[in-house]
Amino acid sequence: MDLHSVRRIASVLVASQIRSGRTTSDPRSVFARPFIFGAIDVALFLVLFALTAIAVPRSSSLSVVVGPLLTTALPFLPLFAVATVLVAGVMFELTATSKFAGSDAVNWLPVTPGEFVLASSSAIAYTYSPALALVLGPVAALSLDVGLGGFVVLVAFLSVVGLLEGAFLVEMVRSATQRAGSSGGRRGRLSLVVRAAALAVLVLALQLAFNPVFLLDSIGGLDALGTLSAFLPVFWSTHALSLWLAGDAGLAFVFVVAQLGFAALLLLIAAQLRARYWVVAPTEFSFDAHAYAGAHPVLSALGLSRAEAAIVTKDFHGLTRRREMLPMLVVPFVIFLVILLESAPAPGRALPSPWGVAFAGWAGGFLALLLATTSVGQERRALQTLYAAPVTGRSVFRAKVASVLFPSLLVTVPLSLAASVLFGLSWLPAGAMALVGCAGAVAVGFWGLAFAARYSDFQERPRPQYLRPSAMIAATFSGMIILFGILIAGVGALAYTGASALGGAVVCLGFAVGFTAIGWYLARTGFDRLFRELPF
Amino acid sequence: MTKSFGPVRAVSDVSFSVPSGQIVGLLGPNGAGKSTTMKAILGLVRPDSGVIRVLGQDVTASPVAVKRQIGYVPESTSLYEFLTGAEYLDFVADLYGLDAPTRTARISQFLEGLELAGHENSLISGYSQGMKQKVALIAGLVHHPRLLVLDEPLNGLDPRSARVMKEVLRSLARNEGVGVLFSTHVLEIAQAICDQVVILRQGTVVASGTVDALRSRAGLAGSDLEDVFLSLTGTGDLSDVVSALSK
Repeated sequence: MDLHSVRRIASVLVASQIRSGRTTSDPRSVFARPFIFGAIDVALFLVLFALTAIAVPRSSSLSVVVGPLLTTALPFLPLFAVATVLVAGVMFELTATSKFAGSDAVNWLPVTPGEFVLASSSAIAYTYSPALALVLGPVAALSLDVGLGGFVVLVAFLSVVGLLEGAFLVEMVRSATQRAGSSGGRRGRLSLVVRAAALAVLVLALQLAFNPVFLLDSIGGLDALGTLSAFLPVFWSTHALSLWLAGDAGLAFVFVVAQLGFAALLLLIAAQLRARYWVVAPTEFSFDAHAYAGAHPVLSALGLSRAEAAIVTKDFHGLTRRREMLPMLVVPFVIFLVILLESAPAPGRALPSPWGVAFAGWAGGFLALLLATTSVGQERRALQTLYAAPVTGRSVFRAKVASVLFPSLLVTVPLSLAASVLFGLSWLPAGAMALVGCAGAVAVGFWGLAFAARYSDFQERPRPQYLRPSAMIAATFSGMIILFGILIAGVGALAYTGASALGGAVVCLGFAVGFTAIGWYLARTGFDRLFRELPF
Repeated sequence: MTKSFGPVRAVSDVSFSVPSGQIVGLLGPNGAGKSTTMKAILGLVRPDSGVIRVLGQDVTASPVAVKRQIGYVPESTSLYEFLTGAEYLDFVADLYGLDAPTRTARISQFLEGLELAGHENSLISGYSQGMKQKVALIAGLVHHPRLLVLDEPLNGLDPRSARVMKEVLRSLARNEGVGVLFSTHVLEIAQAICDQVVILRQGTVVASGTVDALRSRAGLAGSDLEDVFLSLTGTGDLSDVVSALSK
């Protein structure tokens, strides 16, 4: 393995990451150079170290409190490092376009898939390293105070290994999503569904396998596993640190080496996967002679014109065929399932039934918000096609409403009903919860479209933004408030009786109708304005 | 070499050589297997059967060593758009193992020659299609390759840069002994610079040789390469198509 090539590729990938998020990138700026993350790491560590050292006075009574706290919590820091990169990776790295996340830009150069994977993983780990510096700064100051200096160095080392392990796992998932395949045949459609389902299962399994809260909660603490935990690689860092604290440096060293071996194994698997998709297989096209298909009967029945139905069909195809859209479909499900698994009814920890079902409404609403906010930006420069076509902005608006609400409602209703069964709701409250979920999805769907019509981003970037960053933050933040407002009021109406129930129902209805109307108006006028002139 | 993708046989029993110091044109209709062949030469596509040797080395056995000897320009440029032109070229040259002074000198030479000087410190994302193509061309040439594999290399270039590149290719072949495999749909270019031509159709070689030899084979002495190509690929009689499309 040529480490010089690894370093150069990693540096290029980090530079691309940094610059892609900026609207006016000056490549000469110090903030556009890869060392900026290292500088942030050092600055964060030193500032927080100094602040903690100054703010926390040395005293024996404090040592009595801080010492046990550090020795209990810090052995799990490497595991949290893996989980952090994995969660952030699934949320952000998997949405990178294949053009940038793929290996086409380097596969013709004299580098091996293994070198590319190590470079790409290092770049991911380096990008998220400030999160570690944020923790290690104060922790190092406190550890030195209580005489745990050597221990904190080992914690830092194993946490860096954890960051890399998380990045290797992200690389594995990313490689698996990079294979080409846009066949529109029946077999192709089925394979896309299977692939989406497989990706959801893979991401969910990884999220749970490396989620310390879930793991420890399900096994009832590390002690409950006893010697069995020594055979689980996810706990090897924790064991190494615990053994170090217990004074068994020899066995601690064995676990450190084992953890490094596990990281190497993950790298090897990630490299094998990348080698498999090192070159994206060419897309296969086949054309059959047949008459032009008419508009989709369901879409026509909904009152959409032939042109509007064509736009909706195109959007559905894009949603299921474009690799960068796949995580958008998968992420809400994974988050929903993780929350559901962590809060599923169990003795002594079950949530009141309608509150649990509200997670399903949240998943549907989140999907509606994601689809809506990205619905215009995902057209990229191909938006010109719609400008050139004989359709009005109002028509495109209607088509986008259908493209957002159709899949969101299709997801919300069955998820709500399934969650209702799990949480033991009778059919009436189950139906009411499904309706509340749908109301939330409709309201935030229109709300997201209002943002998409006004603040979409059409730039080609490594990580597509679809919406300008500030607008994405505002849309997500306000959309979540609206969604939670509707869901909480709706659940309140079902969970309580009398005046509280009536109040909840009124607030739920008011929020749903009010924000749907405001969102509808803002989105409609936004599309009118958008289609007056090409925005790029 | 034979290569299938699922049920589709992209390339079937294709065999030809690119002699040192010669420019070989790889021609064929869309979907004939040109890009697959070129990718296989680079080791990017693994043949189902057959052996590809580049300068005596088996591509499948040692792809990285082979890639060091090849300069490649893909059909569609895939560049790191958030690097500047200079940063990207420095990165590529470094991966090929060029030392810093050599790569600075080579890159400056090419930037001047292709009129990119002055733009090298701007992000590639802001470049026009032609400028991106020039960057891809420089990336393929910067490390003194012994074999050039160029997939539609002159796409999007302005006339001056296209002329410069044609002259550079000729010079590299004649004076440096570089072998050049060159695909294009612009048959005038192929006729002007290629020593030999290989014509692919539906994944198989339908004809190969010098342009004169192909003329004789097609029985079209004195015709240009376009007529020869259409005749040999069986797409010569276009009157029905033209008539249908004109209605």
